Amino acid sequence: MDFAWLLQSLLNGLSIGSVYAVFALGYTLVFSILGIINFAHGAVFTLGAYLTYALAVGRFGINGLLSDLSLPLTLPFPAALLVGALLSGLAGMAVERLAFKPLRRRGADPLLALVSSLGVALIVVNLIQYLVGAEIYSFPSDIFGDLPMAVIFSVGGKPVAVRTIQIILFAASMVMLAGLGWFIGRTRGGKALRATAENADTASLLGISVNRFILGTFFISGLLGGLSGTLIGVSFGIAGPYFGVSYGLKGLAVIVLGGLGSIPGAVLGGLVIGLGEAFLPPDMSSYKEAVAFVLLFAILLVRPQGLLGGRLEQKV
Amino acid sequence: MSGFFENYGFLIVTIVQQALLGLSIYFPLMAGQLSLASIGFYSLGGYVAAIMGTHPYFAPWRAALGFFMFPLEWLFALILGVVLGIAVGYPALRLRGIYLALATIAFVQVVNVAVLNMPVAGGAVGIFGIPQAFESRLDYIWFFGPLFALAMFVVYRITAIGRGLAFFAVREDELAAGAMGVRTTANKVTAFVLGCALAAVTGAMSAPFLNTWNARQGTFDASVTCLAYVLIGGSRSLWGPLFGAALLVSLPEVLRPLKDSRMILNGVVLVAVCVYLPQGLMGGLAALRTRLAAGRGGVA
Amino acid sequence: MKRLAPALALVLCAAIPALADKVATPIPIGIAVGQTSNVALFGQEQVNGAKIAEERLNAAGGVNGTKITLVFQDTAGDEAGAVNAFQNLINRDKVVAIIGPTLSQQAFAANPIAERAKTPVVGPSNTAKGVPEIGEFIGRISAPMTQVAPYSVKQAMKLNPDIKRVAVLYAQNDAFSSSETVTFQDAVKNLGLETVTVQKFQTTDNDFTTQVTAVLGAKADLVIISGLAADSGNLVKQLRQLGYKGLIVGGNGLNSPNMFPVCGALCSDILVAQAYSPATVDKNPVNKDFATAFEAAYKKGPAQFSAQAYTAVQVVTEALAKIEKETGKKIADFELAELREMLNKSLRTGSYMTPIGEISIQPSGEVEQKDFYVSKIVMNPDGKTGSFVLVSE
Repeated sequence: MDFAWLLQSLLNGLSIGSVYAVFALGYTLVFSILGIINFAHGAVFTLGAYLTYALAVGRFGINGLLSDLSLPLTLPFPAALLVGALLSGLAGMAVERLAFKPLRRRGADPLLALVSSLGVALIVVNLIQYLVGAEIYSFPSDIFGDLPMAVIFSVGGKPVAVRTIQIILFAASMVMLAGLGWFIGRTRGGKALRATAENADTASLLGISVNRFILGTFFISGLLGGLSGTLIGVSFGIAGPYFGVSYGLKGLAVIVLGGLGSIPGAVLGGLVIGLGEAFLPPDMSSYKEAVAFVLLFAILLVRPQGLLGGRLEQKV
Repeated sequence: MSGFFENYGFLIVTIVQQALLGLSIYFPLMAGQLSLASIGFYSLGGYVAAIMGTHPYFAPWRAALGFFMFPLEWLFALILGVVLGIAVGYPALRLRGIYLALATIAFVQVVNVAVLNMPVAGGAVGIFGIPQAFESRLDYIWFFGPLFALAMFVVYRITAIGRGLAFFAVREDELAAGAMGVRTTANKVTAFVLGCALAAVTGAMSAPFLNTWNARQGTFDASVTCLAYVLIGGSRSLWGPLFGAALLVSLPEVLRPLKDSRMILNGVVLVAVCVYLPQGLMGGLAALRTRLAAGRGGVA
Repeated sequence: MKRLAPALALVLCAAIPALADKVATPIPIGIAVGQTSNVALFGQEQVNGAKIAEERLNAAGGVNGTKITLVFQDTAGDEAGAVNAFQNLINRDKVVAIIGPTLSQQAFAANPIAERAKTPVVGPSNTAKGVPEIGEFIGRISAPMTQVAPYSVKQAMKLNPDIKRVAVLYAQNDAFSSSETVTFQDAVKNLGLETVTVQKFQTTDNDFTTQVTAVLGAKADLVIISGLAADSGNLVKQLRQLGYKGLIVGGNGLNSPNMFPVCGALCSDILVAQAYSPATVDKNPVNKDFATAFEAAYKKGPAQFSAQAYTAVQVVTEALAKIEKETGKKIADFELAELREMLNKSLRTGSYMTPIGEISIQPSGEVEQKDFYVSKIVMNPDGKTGSFVLVSE
């Protein structure tokens, strides 16, 4: 338990925690408006990584319908990231149109949206495999230019190391969070979004087109999902169409921990879970997967509204 | 015809087995509680049977009891389901709606990690070579069939008598039900524990059915699939879980000729049923019947 | 009770056997591997290898002039899927033998179905203890890695005699990795080395900073990893980036070109325990033929899963040819049930020269593989492609 270990774990936890946070924001935005969890969010996350890969690298492997295909035109990475994220936003809107809106219109059991969004996730993930196979894709290591692999410094005679990609992950996540904070706090669209989240009926009385704002929310949610998928894909490679699944589950723990529907809560929840995993004693690595869910269970028993949740809503 | 059952016997029994898991979610749902804990109890129940069926410690028991070892395994799984169900249920059922669902998802995940870390559960490989009750997979209908009939009977009784009214009252308006003297917490926990116990016994029957048991039996995907049986079948009908399971279990098999693209189609059907039959298959059936009746009425 | 009557009828129907089917031409061989779900990465490698086998073996005349045809049934990643695929292959597709399933856990559920139907099974990738013991119709060509693991640790000690402190890491949720690590940990003990930390992870993990911090903190000078390609690749990458300089030994799960895109140039110098090595083409003409055809078809070297799938198809085909030779009767003239029993016996006689070297199947169904290899990963200057170079014989 020396200081170097504490510092090292703090840095590790902040880095992975910030990614959990960005991913979970997509969940929490949709939840704040509809009071329902979008199980297709993990699939949009995955899709985002594949889209950016296709745009930036454009070379496919030996399996699937697009085997051996090389796209004639590729974009520089920043442009690909942006376009990929926008396309993921559109995918988010498609999820709303396919899985959520028809059910709302027919007055179906709100729970059914869990199933229909899961159905959309099934389609997306299997479509990806059908097109480009289940193999591992990875971005070239020089997309950020020639950076050193890691920053290593010494604390009290012991080395502390941070990988460059960890710093990039953290910084990129913080930029996204700041951007979202600005959008929600300062723009008219963001304010309307908040009003819709507070109370959809009142919002529509005030002349806000609820359907349009739901669609907009799904766009932003998809955008954030796609961006975080790409960030993870760049850092760790795209390990097949199922690589978003474990993030999807942990994301649930993140949003509950912070408070369902609360945006600062999702950030705090992500960081707490990232830090919780990082500070696990070295001989307990086999319980790392349980950290997020033990925290989730515990917070629900002690403070169901989460760390930063205001009131417990009676939405299903 | 015999070829058909030879080929699809396993599938038919799987439908009933999965319908039981659907019912185990239906119980708490009757009292308005969305719990996804079933699959965790299913996993634990399977481990009870797998361990009792293979561990050397139980060898004398097996020698003494023979076939009756199976009912004993069910009994142990049942006890585990009830005890753990109460232990989890009392604190968790203070939560409502999606919060309860998420707490139960967390429960399933923690069970999964815990099981991987228990040496007696065999790690990632799990437990295999579980003693078989029957030669043919189809014969396992003698396990699942009566359990299903019993579970349906319980659902039917609950619906018919006072307790069911109390359940439904809790579902429709918990505050009002409480004000009218319905013991809401007791009713919710009863409904929850019934589901847990049913899932645990189903797991105990499934371990010999699959001949192997491992941590992959209790995944999040499986949890949501069980919920899908209920919702796709129709959450307001007691036949819903069976019809939902029949559709969702057989669909990948029906789509087999499509090869690589079959799972895409599977998703499409799932979405389409949700959109076009928002009350589930049973709801759709009822609507059709009403429409036909109305049509006839129109002519008369 | 009314509900039970139909069930009773079902049971009676099922008891009447459907027999007297002839063997179809071309001879159908079933492939039941996971083509969808999260095992698809392996399933598609198996499909690729099997397809090359079908093409090459038929080009060489098939079974004394009769062609073979592969029937693919997807098992997905679960037990029920494997059982359903097996049922279809046995009853509807009427195959002579089944090659599959991908995972050991699936084998425990599905193989009893084949055993009951007296249909031979050749496991191309299941390595868990207890699979061949499921029954007399169950065999495999994938060896549990009990010998090669200690050998690869010895190789590491040869490269660096000063090794003392070993960190062991393994994928806790993977059946193969969690049994392989036991072999590694025993080897470390027997070689007089000290295990300073054992770290566990999941195959779905990406971020290994917790584990790497523990390894660095324990001051290990040898790291042994049992995992699969994507997770192990990330683990190696993060170990190296965070400053681990010592040797790395990887288990059989790391014997895959899928590692290369993940850890890139940092994959270099990992010692890998192999059940198949593409580098044996000079001495093994069968492997040369396979590897050449594979490269031509997919523009990529074959992975172990592909080579093992090829091997399984080859073994079944040669066993069929043996039956024709011994009985003087064409395969198509046999009744299916009779042929399946003969094939099961034929599979267990003699030895086979395959891409994975010389193998035979013992009467118990367990494989006896002559050669295992230890290779070192050598990455090309582009940092994306690489190869496995044999360390020693």
